Amino acid sequence: MTANLNSDLRRAILDLVYKGRDGHIPSAFSIVDLVDHLYGEVLRVDPRAPQWPGRDYFILSKGHGCVALYAVLRKYGFLNDRDLEGFCREGGLLGEHPDCRKVPGVEASTGSLGHGMPLAVGIALGLRIQGADNRVVTLVGDGECQEGTIWESANIAANLRLGQLCAVVDWNGSAAQLMPLDDLPAKWAAFGWRVRVIDGHSHEEIRSAFASWCPAPTAQPQVIVARTVKGKGVPLLEGHGQWHHRIPSAEEYRAITEVLSRP
Amino acid sequence: MTTRSIRQQFADTMLEVGQADPRLCVLVGDISHFILQPFAKACPGRYYNIGICEPSMVSVAAGLAKTGLYPVVHTIAPFLIERSFEQFKLDFVYHGLGGSVITVGGAFDYSNLGCTHHCYGDFALMKTLPGTRIYHPATASELDTLFKATYRDACLRLYRLPARSHGVKLSSAVEPGRIVRVREGSDVTLVATGPQLDSAVGAAERLAASGHSAEVLYVPTIRPLDTETLGRSVSRTGRVVVIEEHLTSGGLGDDVLRALAGKTPLAYRSVSIPDRLVTDYGTYDQHCVRLGLTPEGVERAAREILTPQRA
Repeated sequence: MTANLNSDLRRAILDLVYKGRDGHIPSAFSIVDLVDHLYGEVLRVDPRAPQWPGRDYFILSKGHGCVALYAVLRKYGFLNDRDLEGFCREGGLLGEHPDCRKVPGVEASTGSLGHGMPLAVGIALGLRIQGADNRVVTLVGDGECQEGTIWESANIAANLRLGQLCAVVDWNGSAAQLMPLDDLPAKWAAFGWRVRVIDGHSHEEIRSAFASWCPAPTAQPQVIVARTVKGKGVPLLEGHGQWHHRIPSAEEYRAITEVLSRP
Repeated sequence: MTTRSIRQQFADTMLEVGQADPRLCVLVGDISHFILQPFAKACPGRYYNIGICEPSMVSVAAGLAKTGLYPVVHTIAPFLIERSFEQFKLDFVYHGLGGSVITVGGAFDYSNLGCTHHCYGDFALMKTLPGTRIYHPATASELDTLFKATYRDACLRLYRLPARSHGVKLSSAVEPGRIVRVREGSDVTLVATGPQLDSAVGAAERLAASGHSAEVLYVPTIRPLDTETLGRSVSRTGRVVVIEEHLTSGGLGDDVLRALAGKTPLAYRSVSIPDRLVTDYGTYDQHCVRLGLTPEGVERAAREILTPQRA
């Protein structure tokens, strides 16, 4: 395990998927360091009052990464162990894509790609119309950036100067496996966004990027393009291929656990 | 008879409601921009011409609704209803959010623009989304009344604005969810929606000349359907003709049949758009003639179910 990666959260993700027999482990490992930082140090949220009107909004546009969000919501007190035990079970709150009408702390029901980002644009606009200073962060996948609505809404947000909005791109190379659209930072810049490129697994770089974000009602919107690795932290899972939506066998579970347990 | 344009009334109603209610926001997709300038000026920051990207406009509207606003999205029907259907399903209905979808160019109103600009499956599509409501106001005052009564409801609502108003003076005002009985009769019930009310009334007059008594019901709310008024009428006549500028499948006629199934012996005809794409050009009236959406066409359909039982 690479030093300073969050092994506890990765272990929680692994357990969720292994016990629930469903989920996308590599996608979750790709974003978990970013999501952890957001809830731990950036977002103004209250697990005792998830619908608090003054809260910041986090929209996980790439909904298939939601096991990372579930693990983080457990860490910060929005969910409990019993909630996690119901993952992908009949009657449970947690499914393979997040449902905001069931899960405390989840703001948008995502899964079909290209929906969360324009929804986040609307939330940011709605807050500005009402003079509220809540901030809105949405996390999109680089594969998701193949959806036209990402660029439609990026154009809308830039033209409306929705400075309360920050997009985070999980640039793990998924798009490159399909129909490459690199250079992503240049594309976001061309659409009128202020761009910052970071290592999405480096706490220091994540912290620095969000610390430099200056949300303001009519500022240029900010995008943080985070270079990430699918399955980051466990060599067996890293990269693109069969592990995208694969459930570990008992033997593989033990092997992954062993990697995550190394100091 | 009203001569006021329904589309101009849309702009006027937005202005009036928007001045009274700071939560009303209007998003348009590159149409009606100029007639909405009074709203834009009177309600700064609550009007956006989002451009030509209908799916994102719908998702953005859902985001507005999530913050407690009352969004209106407005553009040409096929681009809004058909292209953005998943956005309505997921971003509004799955999220439990309310909003107003106001279309022009429904059915074949943009007659000469051809198949790409027609939309006659909108009732059917929206009905597949649980909890949605569908209004078809066919005069300026009906739009004004229905919108003001419903725009804050916590559900997704379609208001299909026809280009042409019907020319019938109603004896009672429209209300959401209510059928208006336009003419009493005992032999057959003619159920019409939109500007086709004119065809139904015209057919009733032609039938009267040959001794047939037709009741005419007008349906400004497609969903939820006023099954009580419908059932009362058809329980007396036993015969019903549904007239609508919509595909035969999935339109008002299907709901009428479902509402009446098993309750009374029933003879039924539909005057609507057969299950094929309309690819002809011509005026709105020429389309209507081709499809039988005329007084003569409705009379013909009614006689098919009247004559055998009178013979």
